[in-house]
Amino acid sequence: MEKDLVEYIVKSLVDAPDEVSINVIEGEKSTILELKVASEDVGKVIGKQGRIAKAIRTILSASATKDGKRAVLEILD
Amino acid sequence: MKEFEGRTEQEAIAKAIEELHIEREDFDVEIVEPVRKGLFKKSNVKIRIHFDDGSNLEPDTFEDDERELEQPINSELEDKLLAFVATILEKMGYEGSVSIGFRKERKLGLNIESNNSNIIIGRKGKNLDAIQLIANVYAGQLDPDMKVIVDSENYRMRHEEQLIRMAFKTAEQVRKSGRSKLLEPMNPYERRLVHTALNDFGGVETKSEGDGLYKQIRISNERN
Repeated sequence: MEKDLVEYIVKSLVDAPDEVSINVIEGEKSTILELKVASEDVGKVIGKQGRIAKAIRTILSASATKDGKRAVLEILD
Repeated sequence: MKEFEGRTEQEAIAKAIEELHIEREDFDVEIVEPVRKGLFKKSNVKIRIHFDDGSNLEPDTFEDDERELEQPINSELEDKLLAFVATILEKMGYEGSVSIGFRKERKLGLNIESNNSNIIIGRKGKNLDAIQLIANVYAGQLDPDMKVIVDSENYRMRHEEQLIRMAFKTAEQVRKSGRSKLLEPMNPYERRLVHTALNDFGGVETKSEGDGLYKQIRISNERN
């Protein structure tokens, strides 16, 4: 499941894994994942020029394609 | 392997058979220096005899330095990384296994084997690059000097070869037509490969254009 995937990656990268939470909004064709992390960790999941966020989104899309779905990751801050 | 000389090829072969005590069908002959008709005398022919004397029986243990499996640099980190990438694959919903591809100085190569390798690699290696980036961030927390390369189906090497072939082909076109050409956007590593490959390619010069991580290389005629 997409939530598990993002949660696993994000928890491995942040300093405060206990403060990682993901809210899933399931749509017909797409799933939206709203990610919340500790404010000190926001930079860690976004990365320089958004590189880490982009990589997580790429991995997420690669996973979602097998179900023919689209998954969108939103990082809340 | 041994070399023999004679006035003719036949004579050299006869010498080889006599000295090595082997049959004609047991060896291959390579002519190193063919007979040249000199002004005053015929020079000798030199042949090289290739035969199986047991020296070729040793298996090629190391095909390539980069594939050399040295001792683990940090086996705890390796185990954690292998588990990390394997778990990502599993949670992505793809079956596969991850193993150490190579160890070289501070570089660790991970190899993903999977029936879904086309998806794991992605278009232009996009998915592989994303997994590699995340694996590097993860490894960086454990050892800041460690660099991780994630590969599948030898994609990285195939891609590099293809990139360099394309660069040479385009440079050839530029040299012939005199018109500059802009290559597709590439990441810094890919650009460096192209710049380096065309460094010794006479008559053209390369320059990166654009902003950000993915710049484009322009190949144009060298101005003298």
